[in-house]
Amino acid sequence: MHISEGVLSGPVLASGAVLAMAGTAIGLKKIDYDQIVHVAILASAFFVASLIHVNVGPASVHLILNGIVGLLLGFAAIPAILTALLLQSVFFQYGGLTALGINVVVMAAPAVLVHYLFLPLLGKSPTLTFVAGFLSGILSILCSSLLLGLALWFTNKNFFETSLVIITAHIPVMIIEGIITGFCVSFLLKVYPEIIPLKSYGEKK
Amino acid sequence: MSAQIKQIFILVFIFVMIPASFAFAHKVIIFAWVENGIIYTQSSFGSKRKAKNCVITVMDEKGVIVHKGQTDLEGNYSFKIPEKIDSDLILKLDAGTGHQAQWRIAKNELVTDPSTKDIQAAREEKEKLEESPSILKIIGGIGIIFMLALAVKFLKRKIS
Repeated sequence: MHISEGVLSGPVLASGAVLAMAGTAIGLKKIDYDQIVHVAILASAFFVASLIHVNVGPASVHLILNGIVGLLLGFAAIPAILTALLLQSVFFQYGGLTALGINVVVMAAPAVLVHYLFLPLLGKSPTLTFVAGFLSGILSILCSSLLLGLALWFTNKNFFETSLVIITAHIPVMIIEGIITGFCVSFLLKVYPEIIPLKSYGEKK
Repeated sequence: MSAQIKQIFILVFIFVMIPASFAFAHKVIIFAWVENGIIYTQSSFGSKRKAKNCVITVMDEKGVIVHKGQTDLEGNYSFKIPEKIDSDLILKLDAGTGHQAQWRIAKNELVTDPSTKDIQAAREEKEKLEESPSILKIIGGIGIIFMLALAVKFLKRKIS
């Protein structure tokens, strides 16, 4: 999922960088004081998740976990993902430094989306919580694949074919992440509900 | 408070340490060397995971394509040095979906065969690139994330 150095053209990289900066600024502003530790924990999870791999065709795909990071953090997921991607790029040579902005957009935008779509479902019932987590995991990877296809479209001019290849390659990851996210949110709601930013939950307490 | 710290430790363990035990690298590497007029290449995603059936494009310094080929199931590909080349060669590996890497062969390496010592040095460089990320780097990265979080916490407190 990480775009390497030298793949994309200057304008695409620059647009990515500007969007990522704007998102990071909004995210930093929106982080609650008490939420900062959660942001760090989830950023760490995202940082190491990419080390788990599934080989599919010529490409190699890995866990991303942007679904759970976004579901639990909302806009705060953007600075978390930016930090994690920067460290992955420097420490593990994943993705190019110049492509950092576009990589942040590809992985963080769907993360924010699933937060607003599925957070209201969490805590309604155990089944709904799992389903919300499962769909977050699937949809975040699906949207990230489409965004990656879109970013590559500017160089490849073949959006549907490229996107189809990326989505097909990520189907195993989608299912695995759906299950992981579903179980994680169900488990977290039981043992550490403070990490789930639910207004209704706070009222219940 | 201590219960909260305990919970945070459990969380860090669940999220961080379990995935860390499955650690594999994910980067794109192409490595090339010249022997007896043939350019040999090896491509991988690091940690012995070969980049199979990936396109290799060979260009001169001006970006003119002088050769094209595809890696085999072992991630290897070799070809004769293209004729009438008077510049460094840039070998670009396209591993699909935004994954790309390149390796440069200097002009002088194309005319003289490198000594075994040179090949050995280049191989060591390649092996270093292919290494899995060490646990030290993983822990260091997590340390940096938490230090940044502390800095944000400090700034937020100062602002409010």
